Amino acid sequence: MVIPFLDACKEKVVTLLIRLSGTNHILGHQLRVQDFPKPTQEISVSYLIVGGGISGLSAARQLTKRRITDFLMVELEDHLGGNSSNGENKYSKYPLGAHYLPLPNLEDKALLEFLEEEKIILGYDSKGFPKFDETQLTIAPDERLFYKNNWQEGVVPKAGNTTEEDQELVRFFKLMDDFRTKKDEQGKYWFMIPLAESSENEDVKKLDSITMKRWFEENQFTSKPLFNYIDYCCKDDFGLGIHYVSAYAGIHYFAGRKQNASADKQDTVLTWPEGNSRLAHHLQKYVKGKSLKNHLVFQIENSNNKTVAKVFDNTTKTTIAIKADKILLATPQFVNQYLLENRKNLASNFHYTPWLLATLVVSDLTDNGSFPLCWDNVIYGSKGLGYVYDQQQSLQQIQDKKVITYYYSFSSADLKKTRREIYKKPKEYWKQMVFDDLKIAHPNIKLLTESIEIHLLGHGMISPVPDFIYGQAKKEASKSIDDTIYFAHSDLSGISIFEEAFHQGINAVNTMLDATTLD
Amino acid sequence: MGKKFLKFEYLLLFAVFTIATCGLVYELVAGTLASYLLGDSVKQFSFIIGVYLFSMGIGSYFSKFLTKNLLNSFVEIEILVGLIGGLSSVILFLLFESIYSFQFILYFLVFITGCLVGLEIPLLMNILKDKVEFRDLVSNVFTFDYIGALLASILFPLILVPKLGIMGTSLFFGMINVSIAIALCYLLKKELKKVHFLKTKAILSFMILLAVFIFSDKILSYSEGKLYGENIIYTNTTPYQRIVLTHNKSDYRLYLNNNLQFSSADEYRYHEALVHPALSMAKSVSNVLVLGGGDGLAVREILKYKDVKKITLVDLDEGMTKMFKINTILTGFNKNSLNNPKVTVYNKDAYIWAKNCQEKFDVVIIDFPDPSNYSLGKLYSLNFYATVQKLLKPDAVAVIQTTSPYFAPKSFWCINKTVMQVFPQVDAYHAYVPSFGEWGYTIAINGFGTTFNTVNRKVNTLRFYNYQFDTFNYFSQDMISKNIEINRLDNQILVRYFDEEWGKLQ
Repeated sequence: MVIPFLDACKEKVVTLLIRLSGTNHILGHQLRVQDFPKPTQEISVSYLIVGGGISGLSAARQLTKRRITDFLMVELEDHLGGNSSNGENKYSKYPLGAHYLPLPNLEDKALLEFLEEEKIILGYDSKGFPKFDETQLTIAPDERLFYKNNWQEGVVPKAGNTTEEDQELVRFFKLMDDFRTKKDEQGKYWFMIPLAESSENEDVKKLDSITMKRWFEENQFTSKPLFNYIDYCCKDDFGLGIHYVSAYAGIHYFAGRKQNASADKQDTVLTWPEGNSRLAHHLQKYVKGKSLKNHLVFQIENSNNKTVAKVFDNTTKTTIAIKADKILLATPQFVNQYLLENRKNLASNFHYTPWLLATLVVSDLTDNGSFPLCWDNVIYGSKGLGYVYDQQQSLQQIQDKKVITYYYSFSSADLKKTRREIYKKPKEYWKQMVFDDLKIAHPNIKLLTESIEIHLLGHGMISPVPDFIYGQAKKEASKSIDDTIYFAHSDLSGISIFEEAFHQGINAVNTMLDATTLD
Repeated sequence: MGKKFLKFEYLLLFAVFTIATCGLVYELVAGTLASYLLGDSVKQFSFIIGVYLFSMGIGSYFSKFLTKNLLNSFVEIEILVGLIGGLSSVILFLLFESIYSFQFILYFLVFITGCLVGLEIPLLMNILKDKVEFRDLVSNVFTFDYIGALLASILFPLILVPKLGIMGTSLFFGMINVSIAIALCYLLKKELKKVHFLKTKAILSFMILLAVFIFSDKILSYSEGKLYGENIIYTNTTPYQRIVLTHNKSDYRLYLNNNLQFSSADEYRYHEALVHPALSMAKSVSNVLVLGGGDGLAVREILKYKDVKKITLVDLDEGMTKMFKINTILTGFNKNSLNNPKVTVYNKDAYIWAKNCQEKFDVVIIDFPDPSNYSLGKLYSLNFYATVQKLLKPDAVAVIQTTSPYFAPKSFWCINKTVMQVFPQVDAYHAYVPSFGEWGYTIAINGFGTTFNTVNRKVNTLRFYNYQFDTFNYFSQDMISKNIEINRLDNQILVRYFDEEWGKLQ
């Protein structure tokens, strides 16, 4: 009798503490209608970086490394970091997007160098393996899966599989191991990070032309636990599940990482309570005093070897004209189509999956005790991607409250339609969705939750549908314009991971500067 | 007549079915409890099944002596099986501590239940023998008997124990038993004699079982208290742990979350071995750090050295350190050490405190609970020892309690090897503490300015440690383990070793 009443009370408390946030899509929409005042101020700068996500920040680092200091960064949001941003509450920091970096490939010298600069790699041992700072590697236990009513260690479904299911998993991982080492005639890996360094032979392009699901069929894979697991992996990295994502991308998830940076735990990752915002903060020192936040570029004009970016200052509601020798657009293509002429067709080939993140403060997370709370906690057969325990990297013994971040990607065939629908739903709808999904493993999650913050990302990440990574649109969109406008963004790589954005920034700066020296 | 009789027959067959189910459930309860409380489940289950089947035979044998009022006896036995079987687990739980009589009572209860169940089937066949064809009778009775047994053995591990617990299961089935008896009283009131008397007995038994069922939680917590085997004289539940102090003759014992922390009879061995090697070999001992050890017993030993000027103790649990500052029994043990003006207590998380600490120490004594979970495992990691090393002066000495090298050699040497990655000189030693068994420590020197065999200072009042370090660091074959990994935050291999080794024992 009393319980439903208490339930109702509790629900009220939770309702009061929901917050809905997301990218500044209202200002973003203003871009479409181009309703901005005329410029009232003009500044000049040698280099202008548009967009303060990882590719923009990485570009700033590269400019600095090449001894260029006369540059400026503009960013629409009130903070830098893009998808590598974070929030913070009384108990912990938490990610508002990307939340880990897998161990780098030893071939990726630029990334290793950055990790050394930031003391994430502390040196190298006698066998040449990097010595990672222990506190920045995932603290064990790493991952668990709620499968057949119990938590099991690891996210690959194992407990209680049939022999056939187990054999398929073994066969699959064997194939991935083969793909990992596969090279073409020129000695290029089939699957590499950054993607730009991967092979371009016909076999590879063929893999990119079919969906992951199709590839499973062609290779006689039928087991449900395998499909479920790979669907999870694909959504985790690309937003799209196996029905929509390119087989090349799906395999890249496994084969792109060479697992050669550690002697024992090769598949571990670097992570922080605030997620990759930690890395964004490391990079932010390169734009100190050189960034304008709450500034939206809405038009770029190119005349007489000088480009002018019209920038709307959302704080003062005025417009500035920034004259620059060169502009680096570290913005996604769905934004670029409004800044430059004749980019709409190109942009229509770029698909972005919406994401939802929910950070919950819970008083308790005890469950049936089958495996202890891990950093990554995945629920088999749930709609979302499970949750990350944000305090896993804390060295403390006891946490008063637990902070977890739930991830959900809106994988669908029509992402535009999905996006429109998302913005119509009230925040209570999302709250209920999160609870319903977590309930599978934590039946009383609703009663234990003290607050919930929902973060919606309309254009969460670039999603590699078939024929995109090796397609024409991506190539076209990457080309610079008149040696003055350059492009850098992970959507030009085709997969939205830190490493790609990081290299996009470096490569764009190198191309831009080397083109200049040729003049 | 035929129809009415059919009902009579099936009613009794249904009773057989429930008796068979309940009987097997009681047997499984006894087996589970015995292996839970006494260990060695193969032996326990085997003995219990044997005794049960044998006593069923005895029951069958005695059934021939029952000649009068067969139906009444049948109902009476039904009530008795329910009452004895139902209460068996409660009785066993409560009597666990007196271990000799425990085994006797265990088998006695199994025997009685077996006898009663064994009586039922021949009895029933006698009741029905004139009314049913013998062929049908035998086949029906045994069919129901064995179906009941199957049902019990499937339900028991899958549904009953997880949902009701062991005590709840036996009580629940006791109630089913007795309610069958009650039902029989109503349905067969014409065939039964003295039906009211029988009914009253049955209902009373049911009420007893129901009452115990409702209060089974309270009984459980009482019996848990009994599990300590000593009188509980003090309990305190802090936000971090449950502290229980027990007293038995001249021995006081402190339990943290049911794990023995110390016994007043032999803790001096543990604490002398923990403190005195480090304090005697260190170049200087003016500034000493203790991590964990909120009972103040290590501090008591440290204070025996006059040249100790300052002791810093960091223990997470304020409830614990407060108790050992205030409670007169407890301050009697630690000689009021935590109230000594040389001692400063911080109730902080040791890892975080160490990361932020700017001070440098001459000696550090690390006395954390064993690495039984991933939280505690962090306090034994490479990064933690590197953090501690930064707090030490050159040639300072660090000592760490590192669980039992006999029961958990992998865990023991894992910690030792991890410490070796950080300190230039590392050794291990062990001491025998009767209430714990063989217990071990890892000791490290932050430099080469002193050695493990150096004795820079002594106190003469020790009962156990003799300042001959080289008589403590020899390990026999059965306490050695090789090919051990280093414990890092990202692998927490120690928690796995520990679980493997101690899990095996429990």
